[in-house]
Amino acid sequence: MSKVLMKGNEAIAEAAIRAGCLNYFAYPITPQSEVAEYLAWRMQEVNGVFLQGESEVAVSYMIFGAAGAGVRVFTTSSSPGISLMSEAISYLCGAQLPAVFVNIMRGGPGLGGILPSQGDYLQATKGIGHGDCRLFVMAPEGVQEAAEMVMRAFPLAEKYRNPVMILGDGLIGQMMEPVEFPDHLKSVPSNKNTWATNGMDHRKSKTRNLVRSLFLDSQILNNNNLILRDKYERMKKEDVCFEAYNTEGDYRILIVAYGTMSRVCKTAIATLKEQGIDVGLIRPQTLFPYPEAAVREAARKESCRHVLCIEMSMGQMVEDVERSVLGARPVKWYGKCGGDVPTPEEIIELVKSTLALHKSY
Amino acid sequence: MLGYGVGMPEQIRLSGIVVIVGNYGSGKTEVAINLAVDQHAKGSQVHVADLDLVNPYFRTREARQALRDLGIDIVLPPEGWLQADLPILAPQVAGLIRQPGQLAILDAGGDGVGATVLAALADAFKTVHAPLQMLQVVNPFRPNTDTVPRCLSMRDAIESASRLKVTGWIGNAHLMDETTVDHIQQGHDLLQALARASGLPLVCMAVDSSLASQAAVLTLGCPILTIKRQLVPPWRHPMPLTDHT
Repeated sequence: MSKVLMKGNEAIAEAAIRAGCLNYFAYPITPQSEVAEYLAWRMQEVNGVFLQGESEVAVSYMIFGAAGAGVRVFTTSSSPGISLMSEAISYLCGAQLPAVFVNIMRGGPGLGGILPSQGDYLQATKGIGHGDCRLFVMAPEGVQEAAEMVMRAFPLAEKYRNPVMILGDGLIGQMMEPVEFPDHLKSVPSNKNTWATNGMDHRKSKTRNLVRSLFLDSQILNNNNLILRDKYERMKKEDVCFEAYNTEGDYRILIVAYGTMSRVCKTAIATLKEQGIDVGLIRPQTLFPYPEAAVREAARKESCRHVLCIEMSMGQMVEDVERSVLGARPVKWYGKCGGDVPTPEEIIELVKSTLALHKSY
Repeated sequence: MLGYGVGMPEQIRLSGIVVIVGNYGSGKTEVAINLAVDQHAKGSQVHVADLDLVNPYFRTREARQALRDLGIDIVLPPEGWLQADLPILAPQVAGLIRQPGQLAILDAGGDGVGATVLAALADAFKTVHAPLQMLQVVNPFRPNTDTVPRCLSMRDAIESASRLKVTGWIGNAHLMDETTVDHIQQGHDLLQALARASGLPLVCMAVDSSLASQAAVLTLGCPILTIKRQLVPPWRHPMPLTDHT
């Protein structure tokens, strides 16, 4: 297929269909409503289902039901809506059901505003729901990558029998870029017979599948949590993704940034390079599992003096950066929220002022 | 008179009220801003009204300072509500429709949904004595306006929602930074077919300033609106509008 010009939200919607997901439940909220708008007509063309729930809470349990039945299913929302879904996400984790959630983040807390933000990093990676649950979280930096990550999200959700989240700031949803879609995925989850409550006769099985997150026996509940823990550890071993940018040669400053923020940083890095200042960048593409080793290795490079974590939040990912660097280099946070994105000029100034602290080098 | 065919003027000349419509992401706002600058540079007194009630980001209001610096009047919702996703229509818009001056450009929202706001202004439109045009912007590289039937279907939805008739087409064939002259030529072919199928003129092709002076563009045979991008992501700067002629 040739390239088309799409909004991130539209590309996310189309990518889900091409991933064989024909079940979409959602409730509109800025800045992700174009996903629902697109699928309102597109799902009809492919004989899929789009149902607008009466709230995000209702939507999240439609997801639970569809996932339990063994079909590919996803939803999209923005920050306050994801908070409303967090109970069901915990239930999905507990019941080991695959589903895909897309959070096109807006500023918070509370209703906040409608402009782009990365303020849900901690929620997505560490506090999505009650109990010991984790999401697999991916963060695209543009429309093409958003489409590719959505298509990758469904097989990953099935591989781990766990919900996967695409975490994009509002600009990822709203900006337009050319996009070319990968080939269609097979529509039926290959391992769905291990959980789907679609009838023993249907799947020619003599054992029943039971979807539940209630385990009253302490040992059984502990065992379930050990299974989940093993999965989360396996994610860290098998599916960490990141981009290393301008890290081949020496650099005195390392930036860690993701999503839209990494695009701004790349522009700043290109300008600084023209001025003879090399800056490396690690861009986590998976936020959980986090590319700890990559950040640590890049920070410990002999030439590196300082690590900057730049975010569209009041400092959230910086906790993971500090945890990765383990004190080997000083880590400084810079960021904004409310909708104003730090500019390339601000980042250039930040790099220069940080370098000035290390004049002796 | 504007039109596609023999005797067509090479320059774009507009007057009265010009309503810019189109599907989501067709480039209405970028066209409206650059059209305002183009007509202002040709000596017209220009007013622009932002009627986009459906798009949360990348609206005419992002370019308000650049337009005002040139002396182009822009009608917006009150400052405190500029970043809201609420359907706020500034009361001055109805006044602008009744008294458009030399040229009033109204930038509507996308699809039929975005054009619905025009129906709310139906009473004001009824009293208009100035020439009234509604121009539909088409980017054939957008998913739902890639064929003539889909463009016509979009026109029907917009006309039905707005209670106004589309009177001409503006071609805006591009793939952002990946646009080549071939894309513009392909887009021009589709717009020509659309003009024939609809019996409506192709008013101009909008072309990014990096390509607008290419020979293949200049020989397309229709007026060219040079686009200097204003609605850019935060890692880019808008093109300066001052030397637009």
